[in-house]
Amino acid sequence: MVDELKAKVRELLKNKQVELVIGYQRAADGVSVIPCFVENEKDAELLIWDAYCVYNLSGYLKDYPGKKIGIVAKDCDLRSIVVLLQENQLKRENLFIIEMECHGVIDEKRLKYDTQNQEINFAQKCKGCPSAKLSIADCVIKDKGEKRKTPDDYDEYEPIRKMEAKAISERLKFWQEEFSRCIRCYACRQVCPMCYCPKCVAEQTQPAWFSKGTNLEGNLSWNVTRAMHLAGRCIDCGECERACPVGIPLRDINKKIQKDVQELFSYQAGLSAEAKPLFACFDKKDPDDFIK
Amino acid sequence: MSQNIYLPNLAQIIEIKEETSDIKTFKLKFKDQAIEESFDYKPGQFVEFSVFGEGEAPFCISNSPTRKSGLECSVKRMGKVSQALHELNIGDTVGIRGPYGNGFPIDDLKNKHLLFVAGGIGLAPLRSLINYCLDKRGDFKEITIVNGARSSKDLVFKSEYEAWRGAKNTQLHLTVDCNEENWTCMVGVVPKILEQLKPTCQGSVAIVCGPPIMIKFTLPVLLKLGFCPEAIITTLEMKMKCGLGKCGRCNIGNLYICKDGPVFSYSQLKNINYDL
Amino acid sequence: MGKGCMLKITTKEDLTKILISLLNDFEIIGPKELSHKGIFYESITDLKDLHWGEGFTTEPVKKFFLSPSEYLFKGRYENGQEALEELPLPGNKRIIIGVRPCEAIGLSLLDKVFNAGEDQDKFYLNNRARTILVGLSCLKPDKNCFCTSVGGSPESSRGLDALISPVGNEFIIEIITERAKGIFESLGRNLNQEEVKLWGSDKKRREGSLNFRIKVSENLDNIFESEYWEKVSKSCISCGVCTFLCPTCHCFDLVDEKRKKLRCYDGCAFCDFTLEASGTNPRAARKERYRQRVFHKFDYFKKNFQENLCVGCGRCIRFCPVKMNIAEVVDKAPLV
Repeated sequence: MVDELKAKVRELLKNKQVELVIGYQRAADGVSVIPCFVENEKDAELLIWDAYCVYNLSGYLKDYPGKKIGIVAKDCDLRSIVVLLQENQLKRENLFIIEMECHGVIDEKRLKYDTQNQEINFAQKCKGCPSAKLSIADCVIKDKGEKRKTPDDYDEYEPIRKMEAKAISERLKFWQEEFSRCIRCYACRQVCPMCYCPKCVAEQTQPAWFSKGTNLEGNLSWNVTRAMHLAGRCIDCGECERACPVGIPLRDINKKIQKDVQELFSYQAGLSAEAKPLFACFDKKDPDDFIK
Repeated sequence: MSQNIYLPNLAQIIEIKEETSDIKTFKLKFKDQAIEESFDYKPGQFVEFSVFGEGEAPFCISNSPTRKSGLECSVKRMGKVSQALHELNIGDTVGIRGPYGNGFPIDDLKNKHLLFVAGGIGLAPLRSLINYCLDKRGDFKEITIVNGARSSKDLVFKSEYEAWRGAKNTQLHLTVDCNEENWTCMVGVVPKILEQLKPTCQGSVAIVCGPPIMIKFTLPVLLKLGFCPEAIITTLEMKMKCGLGKCGRCNIGNLYICKDGPVFSYSQLKNINYDL
Repeated sequence: MGKGCMLKITTKEDLTKILISLLNDFEIIGPKELSHKGIFYESITDLKDLHWGEGFTTEPVKKFFLSPSEYLFKGRYENGQEALEELPLPGNKRIIIGVRPCEAIGLSLLDKVFNAGEDQDKFYLNNRARTILVGLSCLKPDKNCFCTSVGGSPESSRGLDALISPVGNEFIIEIITERAKGIFESLGRNLNQEEVKLWGSDKKRREGSLNFRIKVSENLDNIFESEYWEKVSKSCISCGVCTFLCPTCHCFDLVDEKRKKLRCYDGCAFCDFTLEASGTNPRAARKERYRQRVFHKFDYFKKNFQENLCVGCGRCIRFCPVKMNIAEVVDKAPLV
């Protein structure tokens, strides 16, 4: 697969179809994967592709406005590109999307701590990946290997339902404990392709919306606000949870809102670039039972 | 235990002067009489000014320590703190921490001709030094003040001009960017005016303060006029918080503007890598 | 071993017994493993929770001295007038156990910022005074550790009151300061001469075992304008992970919140760190911010204090969401 990728990238750069291709490369330690910015044909040799290519690179696209960029994308990354297109943050004609047929990426944190499970641990988000639904890519590089099968009865919202079944006091206690570790590094925000506000609500001073301190009030306000701002936009790439240095299960919060959005509006983010963003429009059939 | 270096002293606003539509000079008096009497500073130093409930910001002290009728800060309405400050009235309480910074190197200016070059609100720290020099007139030679602003409405400390013009061996040149009705002084940006005036560099020191773009174009003019880098002094500003060299924010190279500055000579700045 | 230091050997049980007895007078803080999330310094009440094994805490011990979030004073209205009130400083004594040598060196470096000169930070000072640091030497430095390249060592006792080295099922304790002596003096037995020699050679062997070595360029000053910084900073996402988890980063913000003055961590990586009220931002570009980080640690601090502001703990590499590697960056920095 990687040879096909390299050849494609070299071709794109040679024909000047793009000025830059964003992909993955091996870090100096020979093991870790880091983003790769290929600007000439020679550097295409650096590109790699394996199950450790976890990052969602679409967040870098907004750093190059007006330029023609190529991007190596997995299925989840494609969904975030779709949302960015929906929200007019990217121009389709400036993108060359190379889809790598992905069979799952590895969660390094699980590898480090789950010493009992000797199997390679794929990321939670991969288990129910709705792959091959999108046809937005300019070119697809297929994986000749065997695809992991998602069981028919797989319920992506199962952890959410488990949490919903708990009493509110138990849920509150759980989240208070998790958020007590939040250090307000904003890695969750910076790594999220959908967090592109030039001045984040957390950075406003006139007025300051919530405390900058790592007290519970500030931490809850920040994390809940971000989750609400992602309602109808989060496509569950899981980067926020991966980036969080203190292991807060951020995916669960966004997943809960994703479930609510599906139930209330029958809407799933990231499936169609032509569809209007959920909260940019209304439908007469929208639920209104909150109006008393 | 040692004192709390982040705790301000309370001061009351005793006078507010509107210099322009967006610049006010606040005169303050410390609530604690002992601090009021003992507070001393050098021209060029600044204070961390607290508007309670809003925040703290650094403003230079704009009156000379030789004229102690109250601490004066001239503030342009810009961000959160300055906007809130502009809403305050006489009698309101503010907080003052300081004085901080290195101040102007007075000893290096003695027996020299002094060329003050100011743009807009940049005249504020220079006013402190100008009045200091005029109060110790014998220590300094010829004084030339070049003060420019976008328009005559943006010129600050107008009430000082008469005294400056009238002082011994002292010249004041005012300029605005574009010509206006009833304007009798010079027209043109400050660097161009300097080129016209051709001030002598022999035995002179230039003290420059103004917006970054003014400083950027004034420095080459001064060098061309023969001023050597040691004889060009400027005062810089950057976003500041602690004022004590601890919060890590206001560094240029290995120097902190709050502790090692804000006054620097051009010869110092030439040797530092910085982003300004 | 320094003059006046004592070397003792003891069993884990005896050490645990002493720590339990100390719970009466001290808060004991040590590394605790949180399943799937990492190892964190927590208040230990049950000594069984203490994590003696390999691995590093996510957050360094710095947070107990320069707090991630604390109030410096508060204001109130008194007879219609604003008045300021100091807040009580925490007074409880603490023992932090399991501190890695790199983190202790980090504190010695922070002392130069907060504890030296005329303006001493009483919040930091108070925390230093009420805390005893007991270190734990690193038997297995990980692939991102490079302490020996920046003047440190997995066996360093700098900045510590005592240093524990696990040896088989036992612990050797190097007692360094008077206050550590008061606590550990009665523990176990002294090492005999043979054992001292063995301990010394073991230390040397472990110091030499770090695989990841870099050479910090002495030449950074000359390459400030180099295109190198644009190249190496391309993937930085401008979050605060490296800064907040670094044992030596000390940048902070001061904010007025509900009539209290809050001090919280801040970082030069954030886009708005140097944003001025006028809208000017000297470090608007990512490369300028990344360059600032590298230069502050390996050039500016060195110019002011003759040491790098980095202890080679590797946290910034380990936890960076895109695995930026500051050690590689300074090692591979060009000469011109």
